[in-house]
Amino acid sequence: MVSIKDRYAIVGVGESERSKNSGTTPLHMALDAARAALNDAGLEAKDIDGFMSYSEHDSCSSHQLATYLGVRPKYVKDIMGGGSSTEMLIADAVGLIETGQVNTVLIYRSMNGRSGVRMGGGGWDVNMLQNAFEGGSFIIPYGAGSPSQWFGLFATRHMHETGLTQEHLGHVCTSFYEHAQRNPKAYFYGKPLTMEEYKKTPYLSFPFNKHDFCMESDEANAIIVTSAERAKNGKSKPVYIMGISARQCVSHAHYWNNLDEVAADYVAPEVYKMAGVGPEDIHVASIYDCYSWVVLRQLEAYGFAPRGEVGNFVAEGNLRMGGKLPSNTAGGMLSEGYTHGMNNVLEIVRQVRHEYKGTDRQVENCEIGICTGWAGPDIAGAMILRN
Amino acid sequence: MDNQKPIPVKTQDNSPYWDGADRHELILQKCNSCQEYSHPPGPSCAKCGGTELSWESQGSEISGKVYSYIISYRPFLPGFQDDLPLIIAIVEIDKLPNVRLIGNVLQCSTDDIRIGLPVKMIWKELTEERSLPQWIQV
Repeated sequence: MVSIKDRYAIVGVGESERSKNSGTTPLHMALDAARAALNDAGLEAKDIDGFMSYSEHDSCSSHQLATYLGVRPKYVKDIMGGGSSTEMLIADAVGLIETGQVNTVLIYRSMNGRSGVRMGGGGWDVNMLQNAFEGGSFIIPYGAGSPSQWFGLFATRHMHETGLTQEHLGHVCTSFYEHAQRNPKAYFYGKPLTMEEYKKTPYLSFPFNKHDFCMESDEANAIIVTSAERAKNGKSKPVYIMGISARQCVSHAHYWNNLDEVAADYVAPEVYKMAGVGPEDIHVASIYDCYSWVVLRQLEAYGFAPRGEVGNFVAEGNLRMGGKLPSNTAGGMLSEGYTHGMNNVLEIVRQVRHEYKGTDRQVENCEIGICTGWAGPDIAGAMILRN
Repeated sequence: MDNQKPIPVKTQDNSPYWDGADRHELILQKCNSCQEYSHPPGPSCAKCGGTELSWESQGSEISGKVYSYIISYRPFLPGFQDDLPLIIAIVEIDKLPNVRLIGNVLQCSTDDIRIGLPVKMIWKELTEERSLPQWIQV
């Protein structure tokens, strides 16, 4: 296999406005995000010859986006997907560039995730849901229609087996909320969360209270990928892809009853091997955080703390600035906003570029970062980036 | 009976399971190639891809233990607003520890629910024709 290490780079990132009610369409937001990413990269729309997106039937198509940027690219592709699709599409882009089909690819995720179709549920036709989800008729009749419930079933058992407590979930939440206080664009900017307050908050769906849930929002994000060679001549500071990997595992996407393995367990050794680094070399992280617990399970999977010691790792403040692994430094999906993982990827790019240099938001001496995607135990993707 | 709640939709892949439930019986799909139970059932075996599938009755005396659970304090679907707090559990079948079924543990207080709790299967009638497997504490 050809090594792609350091041969491809992210050269532009951008986002639309973030809100609870955009009052506009995913196409408008995607255009805003794409123009911001192009501006960041110092490129024009005509320089992009591949457009890709992922969605849950809640977005605009790549064809539409290219059309209204006024260009006719060689390649457009839209996939169904959520967490970890960002990493997977970046890998697709690398493959397309490697085989000479395109030169530069723009990948986006646009969603009215708050005012429109909410992943967290509500307003769905229950018979439609039973058919929409694999194995849906075995969960919907039991009232299990929300990802918080599916993830919660995993969390309760994992916490039972590993000694994780509600307070450990709270450390994830309070760490990320603390980061949001340095990010004026974060939804919970100006709304810090103390452990005392976290613990006082009633359960919404045990073992989770509302702070353990991601902050669903309306927004679009975009990322531009090209070869390291082309990146050299660009306006922006390239962030190089050291390794990228993905994996499917576990038989059913929604009916989870095998709690012994998650896809991230398989992705971790692959991505480290490709990048030629280990967990001890990572300076900053963006860890998929649709729910707080998901972060704890991934810290275990990606080797930042062994099973049974993840709770202590977060209780010691290691996810905070100055800790061993400052994570989700824009606030993450728990407190910044939610684009199915892509906003976390934007932040890792900006950290590794040292874009916040001179402010208290910059992770010091950060040269290598990891971002992990997680759609559930069934799908994971991860990427390691360097300055 | 509770007509507001979702009724399991029968499909070509799952109807023996739900037909069995309507008769208050647990019917599981089994793969003739790898001999594993496949739940939820599908068009072929989810473990090995085998296409020779059979259906095996486990009878009506089904006991198990709570493998994991959550407690919902909000109805995330219509029809559950009067059932809060709602306990949703994964139950490991005593006779078949590799088979885990998702269902509600009914008539159980939030103080009593725990991993390892012994439960047995009962059937709740949704309509005159349709029944839903559920669990209660032993």
